[in-house]
Amino acid sequence: MCGIIGYVHATGEQASDTAATAAASDGGLTQATGEIIHEGLRNLEYRGYDSVGVALVGESSGLTVAKQSGEVDGLTLPAVSDATHGVGHTRWSTHGPPTDANAHPHTDCVGDVAVVHNGIVENHDALKTELSEHEFTSETDTEVIPHLIEEKLEREDDLLAAVQRVEDRLEGSYAICAVREDDDRIVVARRGSPLVLGRGDNATFVASDVTAFLEHTREVTYLEDGDVATLEPGSVSVFHNGEPVTREVEQVTWEADAAEKGGYDHYMRKEIHEQPEALRQTIAGRLDVDNGTVDLDVSFPPGFLADLEEIQIVACGTSYYAGRYAAQLFEELAGVRATVEIASEYEFSTGRAADRTLVVAVTQSGETADTLGAVRRATAAGARTFAVTNTLGSTVTREVDGTAFIRAGPEIGVAATKTFASQVATLAMVAVGIGRERGALEGARARSVLDDLQGLPGAVQQVLDNEPAVQDAAQAYQDSEAFFFVGRALGVPVALEGALKLKEISYDHAEGFAAGELKHGPLALVTPETPVLAVLTDGARADETMNNVTEAQTRGAPALGCVSEGSAYGTLDVEFSVPDVGIVEPLVANVYLQLFAYHVANAKGRSIDKPRNLAKSVTVE
Amino acid sequence: MSDPPVQAVILAAGEGRRLTPLTNRRPKPMIPVANRPLLEYIVEAVAAAGLDHITLVVGYHQERIRTHFGDGDDWGVTINYVEQTNQLGTGHAVLQAEPTIDGPFVVLNGDRVVDPAIVERVAVAVRDGSAPTVTVTSTNTPREYGVVTREGESVTKIKEKPTGPVETNQINAGIYGFSPAFFETIRTTHTSGELTLTAALNKHARKHGNINSLMYSGQWLDVSNLWDLLIVNAGLIETAAPSHSEQQATTGDVSIADDAVIAESVRFGPNVTIGGNTAVGRNVRIEPNAVVENAIIFPDAVIGAGAVVRDAVVASNARIGPNATLDGTPGTLVVDDTAHHDVKLGGVIGDNTRIGPGATLTTGAVVGDDVTTDAGVTIDSRIQAGATVRQG
Repeated sequence: MCGIIGYVHATGEQASDTAATAAASDGGLTQATGEIIHEGLRNLEYRGYDSVGVALVGESSGLTVAKQSGEVDGLTLPAVSDATHGVGHTRWSTHGPPTDANAHPHTDCVGDVAVVHNGIVENHDALKTELSEHEFTSETDTEVIPHLIEEKLEREDDLLAAVQRVEDRLEGSYAICAVREDDDRIVVARRGSPLVLGRGDNATFVASDVTAFLEHTREVTYLEDGDVATLEPGSVSVFHNGEPVTREVEQVTWEADAAEKGGYDHYMRKEIHEQPEALRQTIAGRLDVDNGTVDLDVSFPPGFLADLEEIQIVACGTSYYAGRYAAQLFEELAGVRATVEIASEYEFSTGRAADRTLVVAVTQSGETADTLGAVRRATAAGARTFAVTNTLGSTVTREVDGTAFIRAGPEIGVAATKTFASQVATLAMVAVGIGRERGALEGARARSVLDDLQGLPGAVQQVLDNEPAVQDAAQAYQDSEAFFFVGRALGVPVALEGALKLKEISYDHAEGFAAGELKHGPLALVTPETPVLAVLTDGARADETMNNVTEAQTRGAPALGCVSEGSAYGTLDVEFSVPDVGIVEPLVANVYLQLFAYHVANAKGRSIDKPRNLAKSVTVE
Repeated sequence: MSDPPVQAVILAAGEGRRLTPLTNRRPKPMIPVANRPLLEYIVEAVAAAGLDHITLVVGYHQERIRTHFGDGDDWGVTINYVEQTNQLGTGHAVLQAEPTIDGPFVVLNGDRVVDPAIVERVAVAVRDGSAPTVTVTSTNTPREYGVVTREGESVTKIKEKPTGPVETNQINAGIYGFSPAFFETIRTTHTSGELTLTAALNKHARKHGNINSLMYSGQWLDVSNLWDLLIVNAGLIETAAPSHSEQQATTGDVSIADDAVIAESVRFGPNVTIGGNTAVGRNVRIEPNAVVENAIIFPDAVIGAGAVVRDAVVASNARIGPNATLDGTPGTLVVDDTAHHDVKLGGVIGDNTRIGPGATLTTGAVVGDDVTTDAGVTIDSRIQAGATVRQG
C-alpha cells in the first residue's frame, strides 16, 4: 500500500547524440534527478503518506539515502548534483509504525544497496532468522530484501543476478526496485503488486502507477507477475524465469492533469462537482433509449446468460456499497439471484454451480488486493468472472473474463465520490443488458430505466446547484455527537455509503442502518444530539422509512431527508429535493450526503483528501 | 534579468441578469455557444496570444467555472482563481486579482469573444510602456456601451451608456492593458456607486492624461440579450466549426446540416433533421422525427419525438415533449420592462423545465427553470421559475 518510483537518465555524453529527440519525447527533462523523483512521489501521494524517502546514485557521490516519517513535501532532498538515477517511496504502514527508521528505502549492512518495496514479504520472519549475522535497523518486512541481496552479491557480483535469486526466496506480494553503488541500473521485480515501466529516449521510469511519470512519457510497459527488469537510460530489459522476454509497449492516452486539483481546495469537492461530466462519460454511446438496449461491448459465451443462476458481487468499502445497490438492480432488472460479499470474506462455497455463476468484482483501482484475492478464489472454483473498474490496464482486468470500465476519470481524493456514482450507473447498464439478453426485462421497462440513467447527469447537477443549502445544514449539525443514516431497499446502500463518507473524512461517529432495523437496537443510541439523515426517494420505500424517521424524531433526534421532487414530509427539519429519475434517485440523493460529509469535515478543518490512517488504493490484504 | 511576462485577468464573477433564466444556475460566461462556454473562447484567445498565466475573477456560481477550467492545463495555461464575493464593479473585480499579479497585465471580460490578435497587441503595448491601454471599436448601438472620446491617440473620457446625443460610434471594447501601478489608481478612485474600471480610467485621464488607445475591428461578439445568443452561436459555428465530424450514434435516416455542431455520442432517433446554425450538447437525446434548426441545445436535454425546435435555446436537462413546437415568428420580447420589437426567438427554455406534449411556444416565450407545463399549452410570454403552466 505504498507508492514507488524509479528514474534513470542519460549523463551528458550519453545524451548528446539523441538530445534533439529527447526534448520532444521526455517532456524536456531539465530538472535534477532528485527533483523528478520527488515530483513523482507527490503524484503518488494518494497511495499512502505517512513516510517518504529517496535513494540517489551518482558516479562519484555513490549511494545517498534520505528518508523520514511525514508527508512528501516535508522531505529535504539530499544535495547529490551528479545523481544519474534513483528510487523513491511513499509509505503507508503495514509492518512497524511510521518512523524515520521504518521509512523506505532500506539498505544492506554497509549501505551499498538500497531497496524500495510495495507489498508484504510474508516469510520475513524466517528470512530474518536466516540473516542473523546482518544488522537490522527497522521493524519492516522489507529490510530483509537488501540484506538478502547483499548475501547474493557476495557469491555473484551482479545486481540483476542477485535480485533474480532473491525473488525466488520471497513469499507474498511485492513490487521492488533496487539500486547499488557503482552500478548504473535500477533492477525491479514484480509479483502481485502493480509496477509499470515508462520509456523515454534518454530516460526510463518505473512506478506503482503511471500518474507518477505521465508528464515525462506516455510509452509504458506493464510488467507481469514474476518479471524482473533492468532499467538503463535508453533501454529496458525484462526477464522471466531468468530468460529475456518482450513485453508490449502501450500508449497512455488520458491526461495526467485531470488528476490535479486545480480550482478547488480539495480534490474531493472537485470530484463531487465533476460527477455530471463523469456520468456523461460513463453512459456516452452506451444507451439506446429508443430501443431499450445498451451497448457495453461485453460478451458472454452463447447460452451462459440464459442458464445463469447467480451473480455474486465481490468488493470492498465504497465499491461494496455500489455492489449492494447493483445486487438489487440485478434481481429486479436481470431476473437473477444476486448476492454481495465483502471481498476479504469471500469464499466460493459449496452448493453452487460454478459454471452457472457470474462473479462480478467491483474495484475503482483494479488493484485492490482483497478483491483480487476473491477473483482468484472464484476463478479457481471455475466460475466466470467480470470486473467493473475505473483503471485501464489494471491487474483485475487481466485476471477476469470480461470488463466494463466506468470511465469516471482519475479520482485522487481518498474518499470515493464520482467513482461510486459511475460504478452504480455502469452496473445498472450491465443489469439492463443482461436482463434484455435473458428476456427477463420488457422493452418498455428497459426504456424507462435507460431514460432515468440518461437523466442522471442533469439530476446530479441540480443537487450540486443546491450546495449552499447543504452547507447550511452541515453548519447547523456539525457538532452533533453522532450521525445516523437510514433508508430502505436502494436507500440502504446509500445510507451505508453516506455514513462511510462522513466517518472517513470528518472522524465523526456515523452509522448507516436499514431503516427498519432502527427499532431493533440502534434506537437506543438516538438522542437530541444525533441527527438522522434519511433517503426518502423512489426506489427506497420512502413512506415506510419516514415512519422509522418519526420514531427517531419522537426521541428528540433532528431529521434531515432527501425527498423525491413533488413529495414532501412537513415534519422534517431539513428537506433536500431529489429530481425524478426513478430507481437511480437514491444515487442522486447520495450526492447530498457527499456534500454534507464534505462540509462537516471542512468546517472542522480535517485533512479531507488524505484522512488519517487511510489510503486510496488498498493493495494489501 | 528579463521582464516578467504579461499576465491576463478575466472578469467572470458577474451574474448576467439580462440573460435569465439561463443565468439562474450558471454565470453568463458559462453559457454554452457552439457547444463551448463563452469563457472558453476568451481563455483560448488569451492562450493563443501567448499569455500563459491567467487569473479568473469568479463569484456567482463559481463552481461551474472552477470545475470546467480546473488549473488550465487543458488549455496549456496556468489558471489562478480569485473570488469577488460581492459584485461591486469591474474596478473592484480587478483589485481582487492584485495578489496574483506581479507585472503588466491585460484585462478582459469573460463574456465577450475577441480575437487573439488584439490581446497580443494590448500585451505588447503594456509591456513596452506604463500608460494604461484601452481598446476601441465601432458599433451601431454606441449608447449601450461606454462611448470613448479621444484626442489624437489618447483617450480623454469614457462615458457609460450615455443618455443624451453621442458624437461618435466609438466604444470601449473592454480589453485593457495596465501596469501594477494602476491598482493604486483604482483603490483611490471614489465613486458613489459601483467601482468601475472606466471610473478609474477617467480619473487617470483627468490627472495624467496619457491613456493609449488601440483601434480594433476584429471579432467582437457580445451577448447582451437572449436573441444575441443565436447570432453569436451562428457566428462561432461558422468560424470554429469542426462541423459534425465528432462521433455520434444514429439510427435510420438522420439529416444533419454542415453548419451544425454536435457533441460526441449524441443519439438521434430515425428521421431526425438537424438544420443549420445548430449546436447540440453532450448527452442530449433527440427522438424520432424531431426537427431542430437555428438552435442551441444545452447538455442533458431531451427533444421529444416529432417536436419542432426552431430559433430557440433549450437549457440543460430540459425536456421538450413530443410534438411540441417552438418557432420564432418575428414578434415582441420584453426585457427589463423594455419592449424589443421584431425579435426572432422561438422560445428560451430554462434548466430542468418540462414542456408538455404538443405545447406551442412563440417569440416572447421565455420559460424559467424548473417549470412544468401541461400538454397542449400555448406560451408567448415570460414564465417565472418553478411555475406550473396548466391548460385552459
